[in-house]
Amino acid sequence: MIVLLWVIFPAFLLFYTSFLRYDNVHPIIFNGLGNYQKVLDDRLFWIGVKQIVIFSIGTTVLTSLGGLIIALCLSAITRAGGLFRSLMIVPWAVPAVVSGIIWKWMFSPDFGVVSDLLMKVGLISKPLSIYGDPNLAMLGVIIADTWTRIPFMGIILLAAFLSIPSILHEAAKVDGAGAFERFLFVDLPLVKGPLLVGLLITTIFSFRTIDIIIPLTAGGPGRATYVLGYYVWDHITKTLNFGMGAASGVILFFITAAIAGIFVYYMRK
Amino acid sequence: MRKSLLESRALSYGIAILFLSLMMLPIYWTVVTAFKPDTETYVFPPVYFPKEPTLTPFKLLFESYPFWDYIQNSLILTAVTTAFVTFIGMLAAYGISHYPYRGGHFVLITLLVTRIIPPLSLLIPFYLVVSYLGLVDNVLSMIIANVYLTYPFAVLIMKAFFDSFPRELIDSAIVDGCSRTGALFKIVLPVGAPGIASAAIITFLWTWNEFIYAMVFTSTSQAQPITVGVFDCIGDIFVNWNQMCAGALLATLPGIIFVFVAQKYLIQGLTAGALKS
Repeated sequence: MIVLLWVIFPAFLLFYTSFLRYDNVHPIIFNGLGNYQKVLDDRLFWIGVKQIVIFSIGTTVLTSLGGLIIALCLSAITRAGGLFRSLMIVPWAVPAVVSGIIWKWMFSPDFGVVSDLLMKVGLISKPLSIYGDPNLAMLGVIIADTWTRIPFMGIILLAAFLSIPSILHEAAKVDGAGAFERFLFVDLPLVKGPLLVGLLITTIFSFRTIDIIIPLTAGGPGRATYVLGYYVWDHITKTLNFGMGAASGVILFFITAAIAGIFVYYMRK
Repeated sequence: MRKSLLESRALSYGIAILFLSLMMLPIYWTVVTAFKPDTETYVFPPVYFPKEPTLTPFKLLFESYPFWDYIQNSLILTAVTTAFVTFIGMLAAYGISHYPYRGGHFVLITLLVTRIIPPLSLLIPFYLVVSYLGLVDNVLSMIIANVYLTYPFAVLIMKAFFDSFPRELIDSAIVDGCSRTGALFKIVLPVGAPGIASAAIITFLWTWNEFIYAMVFTSTSQAQPITVGVFDCIGDIFVNWNQMCAGALLATLPGIIFVFVAQKYLIQGLTAGALKS
């Protein structure tokens, strides 16, 4: 029961604060739904919603692709498998804020290694700056976040792939299924459950990502990477409007819960 | 030996190596930069293999920032949180797993729901509690928050491990005159050790890596953990990138060590915590 109190009390306090006029300027009074009204009327809030949707879709798609590729490769590997798996999960163990810093250095317009590599490959002709182009900035943030999320996806999918009995593959092969068909009709249906779990966790975690964005772009340039989490963060650390911060926090929670609900519904089916 | 889409093993190795090299690039780049003198840091095109590796960035880092304090704070914070969460979580997981009681299922669902609430949303309530208790800029504030954040997942991991433990063994121990708690310590613990280790390691890393709560709760090196410390090295005008990377490397070190030493536990724990719930 103590556990229960421990869980419910912060949530209760969050809801309670979201109904208060708590801006650290005026005296605290009960404000009903005033905060929600203000948040929903705020242009910045809707920018945040738009950016978080783009960000989350981008991250989830790239993470699933990356996770699938690496898990498929590692499931076919026997020698030095432990080393490969360790290397795969290294990015997971890097503190998110440090990832942001590292990527900021890699994307540096002046001394960036990413610019240099892309130039060597011949994709671009002059150093690129993710801080000059809103689309590039979003792409940069998505790449940095994907980097930290691939390991988890990879781990889950690897476990799933390894649990598929190889006899199924043999059978499909006898029936004349090509490599790609076997992947599509044997592997994918069997890893559907874990894949959905991975997608769910990646999506709801990308909704709360700001540790990476704070050092990398700080929401900029302009508002190009100003995700919803950043909106909450700004109310807590910059405008110090705790009432609106709590209200937008509640909204963020409900969006996340709705997404989780949809996924759980599909998994049950 | 399992065959998949990638028919030839050579191809699998090839793609894996290429992919992992790309994944390792940021780590490599951090390590290399941390040992570069200024002359090799601020050049374009960048230097891939430093010609004169040096420890100067580390030296300057410790001279210009209270980095020992950061490390110390992080260690205290992480050690206390991990010990507390692992012990309390173990009792809870054992209870839920082996002694179904009314509302046990409800507790489990509550734990899952807490995992869905974005920590960012709970920042304000926690800040209010912490400032009410007068714990702002105190390591204790972050311990409270991190225990809250890591506890559910730790319980889920350990529960998954305890679930696979045969009930008969415990029953027979109790018949032999062992108390329930005795059974926990004498029988379940030794067998469930991998699960407990997984939970402890994952809790450790999460706490060590936590940033936003620490950023809001602390303001001086008296309490700031290493993640905040590294972030503070980003100057207003100019960033000392080689020092920055030295700091980033130090902050990442525990993670890298655990990944290589305890890879098996990490993978088991993450899979168990994610899938079996």
